[in-house]
Amino acid sequence: MNGRTISRSQLAALVDDLVGSGVGVVAPVRAPDGRLDYRPVARLEEAVLDGGLPRLSLKSLFLPPTEPLFSFRKSGPDVAIDSVPTTFPPRLVLGAVPCDAAGVAALDKVMGWDYRDELWFGRREATTIVSVACGKGDASCFCGATGNGPAGTRGADLLLLPLDDGFAVEVVTPKGEALLSAHAGRFGEPPNEADVARRRAGLLEGRVEPVGSLAPVTAWLGGHFDDPVWDGIALRCHGCGACASVCPTCHCFDIVDEPEGVTRGTRRRNWDTCQTARFTLHASGHNPRSVQDARYRQRVLHKFSIYPERFGELLCTGCGRCSRACPGGMDLPDVLGAIAARAAAPAGGAA
Amino acid sequence: MKELRDLATKLLAEGTVNVVLGWEEGPRGVRPAFATDAAAAGRLVFDPRCTQNLVPYLSPRRTQVKKLGKAAVVVKGCDARAVAGLVRETQLAREDVVVIGVRCGGVIADPASPEPLSPATVADRCPGCNSREPKLADHTVGELPAAPPGESRRDVRIADLEARTADERWAFWQDELGRCVRCHACREACPMCFCERCVADKTQPQWVDSSPHPRGAFAWNVTRALHLAGRCVDCGECERACPVDIPLGLLNLKLARVASERFGYTATDDPAVPSPVGSFQKDDAQEFIL
Ligand code: SF4
Ligand code: SF4
Ligand code: SF4
Ligand code: SF4
Ligand code: SF4
Repeated sequence: MNGRTISRSQLAALVDDLVGSGVGVVAPVRAPDGRLDYRPVARLEEAVLDGGLPRLSLKSLFLPPTEPLFSFRKSGPDVAIDSVPTTFPPRLVLGAVPCDAAGVAALDKVMGWDYRDELWFGRREATTIVSVACGKGDASCFCGATGNGPAGTRGADLLLLPLDDGFAVEVVTPKGEALLSAHAGRFGEPPNEADVARRRAGLLEGRVEPVGSLAPVTAWLGGHFDDPVWDGIALRCHGCGACASVCPTCHCFDIVDEPEGVTRGTRRRNWDTCQTARFTLHASGHNPRSVQDARYRQRVLHKFSIYPERFGELLCTGCGRCSRACPGGMDLPDVLGAIAARAAAPAGGAA
Repeated sequence: MKELRDLATKLLAEGTVNVVLGWEEGPRGVRPAFATDAAAAGRLVFDPRCTQNLVPYLSPRRTQVKKLGKAAVVVKGCDARAVAGLVRETQLAREDVVVIGVRCGGVIADPASPEPLSPATVADRCPGCNSREPKLADHTVGELPAAPPGESRRDVRIADLEARTADERWAFWQDELGRCVRCHACREACPMCFCERCVADKTQPQWVDSSPHPRGAFAWNVTRALHLAGRCVDCGECERACPVDIPLGLLNLKLARVASERFGYTATDDPAVPSPVGSFQKDDAQEFIL
């Protein structure tokens, strides 16, 4: 580890420093119903570090469920456009779960692809992400299979690894380095390497992931759009989109103009999902994805074939949120396992 | 369990139905099953984890289920009310589905939980349930287990909300509905939300803002709750589907009570009993109509 350490009390003081200097600190916070949500905190005590996955993923802090793109006013024949700010006040996320931070990094690719999404990158630039290594995985997690892991650093600027009192601090990016140097007095000596190695190993102890290597799945998917494996794959899927809402990498959005009275209005973008029938419904009434099997296939292909082909990485961090949220009992590792079996079968190789 | 499996196998073998909708072991607890052969029928289960209502899969919009052919569906008492709802509202012809009722002692809220049925794990709708033996059924299987454990948590929460001022209630719902992302999972998982074109999807005119800002979240959830008043069968699917755990059951139950007080209607698995939205009586309360 290239880093330092920070005690809990120094971390609390760091939060006070940041909040005092006008940095918005966001962390997992326990809601009255017991679940966690990423919310602004004023003090470290309000944050729950390494408490497991918050309800909605970190993407909601960069691509909110709804946001204005601009507003418009009509006066006579003219239309005036009021743009929205694309720079944001400084913010620090403390206690990002590694699979959530990895999702944000994956989304940087599509958000900066054919044009640079100003709102996404405005928030990205204003935000420093401090992940905390995760000791709360369950049987639906497969972050290892996606190339991440409970102490994964993708998307994080700093990674904190829990020690007895405080954390070992791994510096991942120059932004993380800048935070560390600006508050150097809060950080202690480098951690004991052996202790760090033992604790990292501890995070993986007893972990059995529900799905093996995804490489064969990704390799097979491209040529098998019409394979029989898709028939009935989504029988139990309601097309409800809960999976996409909680997913740290699903990023489809809809654009709507909302009138506010007769002469004004706002153009907004809102989360959307390919899992609903309406997503691909044409004005003619034709729907190219007329059955849920086809919609579910789209979700699998986008994550495990289309995105890797275009951007060189999976659009899935293995967080398992989709399986946990699904009211129909659809389980992504189970589906990936079925596809892997099909790919490995003698007839499965035929395109 | 054997009785259920044998019956499903028989219905499939004799060609009475092409698929039996039930529950099976899945990677995370029990999950909906679509048994089309004897092997799959032999894997059906019914136990206190079977909280899912399978009746939404009978909706004509579930084209991939429809393709399998004529269905039998396994129902608990609460689920049977959904079958009755669809028949009452002419979405389903009674003879088009074979209904297999299971006698029920309550279910746990989360079908993936390894915990046994207890006052702590029981689904909100179960304590005090008086429909544990479905009447609307072509076949009924199993022995009647003991009554569900525990007391209704919702009674306490509704009483608590009723005791608050309007401003406090407003604040409570602002906070809860503030999490809504307008995914409409509540609608898609609901057996009674079967509209081909939901009012929330209409754009000309746009009756309900589609954005999950406070106005849109309120407009959607209030609209949906009112459209379900006197129609909701209290199966709990909407709340279970909601990815942000909004306590939709509180809204639904409160409105069901209002429908019962004002129109003498309680959700039932008898499709012949008219629902308040589908019928008009001269003595219906109507002083609220301007
Ligand atoms: S997979 Fe599950 S959560 Fe996703 S749309 Fe289907 S039913 Fe909803
Ligand atoms: S697809 Fe599922 S497991 Fe993968 S990132 Fe999204 S929610 Fe997590
Ligand atoms: S509401 Fe009644 S019938 Fe339904 S699961 Fe609970 S106890 Fe069983
Ligand atoms: S509103 Fe909720 S509880 Fe009522 S019928 Fe629909 S899904 Fe079931
Ligand atoms: S399921 Fe929950 S979050 Fe989604 S629209 Fe319904 S109330 Fe809102």
